[in-house]
Amino acid sequence: MRRLLALWEKETLALSRDVLGLAVLFLMPAAFIVVMSLALSDVFKGGAARQTEFAVIASDGPEFAKQLTERLEGDGFHPSPEPAERGVLHVTKPALTLIVPRGFERALGTPLGKASSVPALKLVADPALPPALLLAFQQRVLGVVLGLRVSALMRRAGVAADAEALDLKHAATLNVETIGGTGRPSSVQQNVPAWLIFGMFFVVMPISSLFVVERREGTLARLVSLRVPFSMLLLGKVGPYFAVNLAQAALMLLAGRTLVPWFGGETLALPARWDLLAEVTACTSFAAIGWGLLVAVCSRTLEQATVIGGVGNILAAAVGGIMVPRFVMPETMQKLSEVSPMAWALDGFHAVILRHGGAADIAAPCAKLLALAAALLAAALWVHHRRRVLTSAQ
Amino acid sequence: MGTLNLEGVSFHYPGGGETVLDQVTLVIPAGGIFGLLGPNGAGKTTLISILAGQLHGATGKISADDEPLEALRRRRPLSLGLVPQEYAFYPMLTCAENLRFFGAVQGLAGARLKDRLAAAARFARIESALARRAGRLSGGLKRRLNLAIGLLAEPEILLLDEPTVGVDPQSRAFLLDSIRSLAGTERTILYTSHYMEEVEAICDRVAIIDHGRVLVSGALSEVTRDGSGLEELFMRLTHRSLRD
Repeated sequence: MRRLLALWEKETLALSRDVLGLAVLFLMPAAFIVVMSLALSDVFKGGAARQTEFAVIASDGPEFAKQLTERLEGDGFHPSPEPAERGVLHVTKPALTLIVPRGFERALGTPLGKASSVPALKLVADPALPPALLLAFQQRVLGVVLGLRVSALMRRAGVAADAEALDLKHAATLNVETIGGTGRPSSVQQNVPAWLIFGMFFVVMPISSLFVVERREGTLARLVSLRVPFSMLLLGKVGPYFAVNLAQAALMLLAGRTLVPWFGGETLALPARWDLLAEVTACTSFAAIGWGLLVAVCSRTLEQATVIGGVGNILAAAVGGIMVPRFVMPETMQKLSEVSPMAWALDGFHAVILRHGGAADIAAPCAKLLALAAALLAAALWVHHRRRVLTSAQ
Repeated sequence: MGTLNLEGVSFHYPGGGETVLDQVTLVIPAGGIFGLLGPNGAGKTTLISILAGQLHGATGKISADDEPLEALRRRRPLSLGLVPQEYAFYPMLTCAENLRFFGAVQGLAGARLKDRLAAAARFARIESALARRAGRLSGGLKRRLNLAIGLLAEPEILLLDEPTVGVDPQSRAFLLDSIRSLAGTERTILYTSHYMEEVEAICDRVAIIDHGRVLVSGALSEVTRDGSGLEELFMRLTHRSLRD
């Protein structure tokens, strides 16, 4: 145990003097959390919270355009303050412009059997508009038009129509309840765990860098000559980096609570079960350290360690829903993301932070992460055995 | 500690095919300094690595006072010390932190660790540099720190692998004097070097190896009794062709 403590102390001292390594571990994820939480805040907002401008151009006159505009407004869609002009629709605001052809208002009163005679509406959309929002506005237009049509037909039949009753806004009250919480996950709730995981896996850099230096300088060979088992040398790196990962978790949660709102974003909602959060953090840490040890043993130079560790992390993050949320990925990519350990970790963190789940909800991701950690450690020992990495003597 | 005996020690790297050590037999008595000479690639460092326990798979017998070296090291882990030719310490740690770490991994603790740290630093004359980062030391100070680490646990067998490479004449003279002062003890010292004058100055017994084979071994005065110097003998035995 004394040897192990000495190894931990050495590793901690070495890391504390690696300013660049500390910056990668603490400043990088904190910066990503702030920037990405703010940048993606609209993506995670519900329809009502998003503000999308629209305009209506009606050839039947401003009154009909005004009527349509009033009925379409709501749930995040609001009329553009600047009147749209047909010639510049594709390059300026608003994001959505509904063009109503001449005779459309009159055609609404046509009996349903002759509906084909109603001129077609045209919706001009900003190509950058999310497809879900476009679809929502389409359905909104159809709903409003249906209300107007029913109203016109009722008038034609001599039935007094209550305009309010046929307004889409008053059709029904629909409350949406999100599982496990009172509201939808916010950008900060997605991004804090995501970039925390990314930062945790970057322990690969200092672990492998110091290991390469130890091998290059002959320090590992000297330790072996002092009969320090190689497995203990690897374990000597686990303790300090586990502590680093825990510190990262605490500081990134703090960043979500303080830094992000300070920059104008939302405040991170804290989990109900801290013990489960600690479990997920610990399992993620073991997987990240295991990855670091394997890269360390496999790399012969600092350049190799940097490339293998860095590129591996970025790929795992891209596939695993760290950089791009998985729900916006196509189905094939979502399936592919299931192979990324970062996706397993993110599932675990989401289960605790977003869905307020229990032990059963984190069991699968934690088991996968622990199995991976054990496999990576075994692989590191095997590679060492195969390569005789400590031996520079020829 | 008595004599270190190597009997028919052979070694080749797995899959490599080429034999690096071929039936090496040496008798290295305690109380003096045994110089091991050879051109680059002769097998000196491989032999040191085998003795230090870094390389496994050698055939033949290695024993210290009739006890297999491996058994002795299991029984007394601190019996062997190595000063490798690389600066085998942590450049980002201070000299004191390096000494404390290497002492602790050898099982030294408390007052004993403190005493040994002070004694090793005093022996290598690095007391004034204890608080300095090892990576920022001059070449001479680095070599002295390397030596101090090797002496921390007062090993009975000391392996010195080219311990004076890359230092100025003053540091080399100091290192040689320090190493010579260790010879008076009952310590078994194996010293490798490319510098013939060093070996002539501090070693009482020598062996010259090439291509993994011992070409000559014995007391310095015996192997050079024909009047030729050690360098002339070395060149005669190993030839003048350049090595990798």
